[in-house]
Amino acid sequence: MSDSQSYPHEDTGVETRKLGMWVFLSTEILFFGTLITTFMIFKGRDFPGIKLSDVYDIPFTSVSSFILLMSSLTMVLAHNALENGDQEKTRVWLLSTAMLGAVFLAGQIYEFTEFYHKGFELSSNIFSSTFYVLTGFHGLHVFIGVVLLIALWGIGQRQNGLSLDGGMNLEFVALYWHFVDIVWIVLFTVVYLI
Amino acid sequence: MTVDHKPHPKPVQYVQIALVLGVLTAVEVVLYYTEDTVGVFTNPLLIILAVGKFVIVVGWFMHLKFEDPLINKFFTGGMILALILFAIVMFERAAANFI
Repeated sequence: MSDSQSYPHEDTGVETRKLGMWVFLSTEILFFGTLITTFMIFKGRDFPGIKLSDVYDIPFTSVSSFILLMSSLTMVLAHNALENGDQEKTRVWLLSTAMLGAVFLAGQIYEFTEFYHKGFELSSNIFSSTFYVLTGFHGLHVFIGVVLLIALWGIGQRQNGLSLDGGMNLEFVALYWHFVDIVWIVLFTVVYLI
Repeated sequence: MTVDHKPHPKPVQYVQIALVLGVLTAVEVVLYYTEDTVGVFTNPLLIILAVGKFVIVVGWFMHLKFEDPLINKFFTGGMILALILFAIVMFERAAANFI
């Protein structure tokens, strides 16, 4: 890509799109920060009905957490492969990341289904509502990430392949995916372990 | 204007970082099951481990450690605002319980 076509750098020295992506992630921190705060207000209080601690399965969620962590590894390896100009490896790592994300999502759907069968429902009490809204919004973010990864993989199949310079940039999707991972790191501790 | 980035880690280093993350997750789970033994230190240790994992992913996988300080400021700014919000609400909750 020639200089005239490249995306501009502001006086800050940072590419405008990259700065925009980080600002977006900063707003997402506030979004999840608000949801976590709301969840914590009601955590530990007595509500009628079954408790979260009675239904959740720590070994199962731990494996899900590990899978999402490893998807961050495959994502960064995809980024690294593209930096080295290896289109084939990039596509393989992208697809691996999407599949790991899909496995995590399947686990979350299974977990929600189990909770419902055990009587911990969205409308059981205000605490259960905050739980489903918080973890559900995270799941929605993972779903969007999986769609973006598959779209990138599809773009990578074209003759020109993927590029770090323009269009739907792999670096930004990677940032989004890692962000989804760090949110889960917090949720795993705050929601399940503490 | 071009930007010089510090060199990113190699794939082997990324795998090592992921192994560390996996071990930290395993330690978290062990702490959860040994709460009766570890006692009051369990929750602080779990929070420290989560913060450690968070910093590792943001610093190395998201490359924030290698990025322009301005990006660091934006991300840290969001974190600080979220923590202030959390602190205010938790303080309010504690005060309401006290009254």
